[in-house]
Amino acid sequence: MNAFLLYLLLLKATITSFSGLSSLPVLRGDLVVRHRVLTDRQLNTAVAVARIGPGPIGLYVVSVGYFVAGLPGAVAGWLAMITPAFLIIPMLRYLGRRAESRHARRTIQAVILASAGLVISAMAPLARDAVTAPAPLAISAASFLLLAATRVDTAWVILGAAAAGLAGSLLAR
Amino acid sequence: MSGPSTGGFAALFLRIGNLTFGGGDPALAAFQRELVDRRQWLSPELCSLAYSLARVTPGTNILAFCAAAGWQLLRWRGALLGVLAVSVPSAMLAVWLTWAYESWKSLALVNAVVGGTVAAAVGMMAAGALWLVRPFLGRGNRLRALVLVTASAALAGLLAIPPIPILAMAALTGLLWEDGEDA
Repeated sequence: MNAFLLYLLLLKATITSFSGLSSLPVLRGDLVVRHRVLTDRQLNTAVAVARIGPGPIGLYVVSVGYFVAGLPGAVAGWLAMITPAFLIIPMLRYLGRRAESRHARRTIQAVILASAGLVISAMAPLARDAVTAPAPLAISAASFLLLAATRVDTAWVILGAAAAGLAGSLLAR
Repeated sequence: MSGPSTGGFAALFLRIGNLTFGGGDPALAAFQRELVDRRQWLSPELCSLAYSLARVTPGTNILAFCAAAGWQLLRWRGALLGVLAVSVPSAMLAVWLTWAYESWKSLALVNAVVGGTVAAAVGMMAAGALWLVRPFLGRGNRLRALVLVTASAALAGLLAIPPIPILAMAALTGLLWEDGEDA
């Protein structure tokens, strides 16, 4: 896949999302299901990789770009990640506080809630790929509980999961 | 209230954007503290406007905030510099980590490490869905939240409807269905 088409597909995902991983369902639909240039395993890895380092959760798009088309793909992913940010400038100039109106707020909230539903539905095939035995299931559940119920940094959860995976492999030898 | 130099602005955005772990929210809090309280480059009102608009701008909230804060301080130069300073180093690190995974994935121990992290990523996605929903579960909003989340998951998962029509339907629903705060 050429980098420009990849940029457009990634942009479609980022520009229709409003936070966190909510771009994931659109991205998975295009790259994993329709074009088959990315696997669920790579998508899962991209999400994990982006959380190890600093920066926003949306960084996973850069990693996805790299998986699909190498360095040009990573640049396409980075551009797709930053492009929507500049939409805020016309909003500041022309809309100002009107963009915070009750109607606008309600519409955005509904889109965010629908995004959560889409993330849940996109998670099922990713879970089928990653959670194939009791140990990964335990790691997934523990990660969910830690992130949902505590304020522990995501990077620590990812590092702990990596250590658990390594320990499990060494014990199984 | 004195404005920043280009160098001072870039240094602050580089530091906060690339040394703050935990995603956008901790970084937003750090920016607010530095821009408003410590350096007084932005008034609380302007910072709050940038913060609010960043929440309703498509894409990554923290990048939209940086573009807005940069534009308010140094116009287009600031918007561009803010977004670049926050995103380029961390994107390079993400590329390096992805490259390392690709290069070493054939090693059994690396595979074991990656197996653990991708399992955690699934848990993280479930927590991410919860984070998206949690702010909208207030009294009077629960039914709307439940219907929107469940219907979207069912339409995508059971009927294989693509995400964008679902998001469009949700936007329309949100526009028409008043929540508890409106009543």
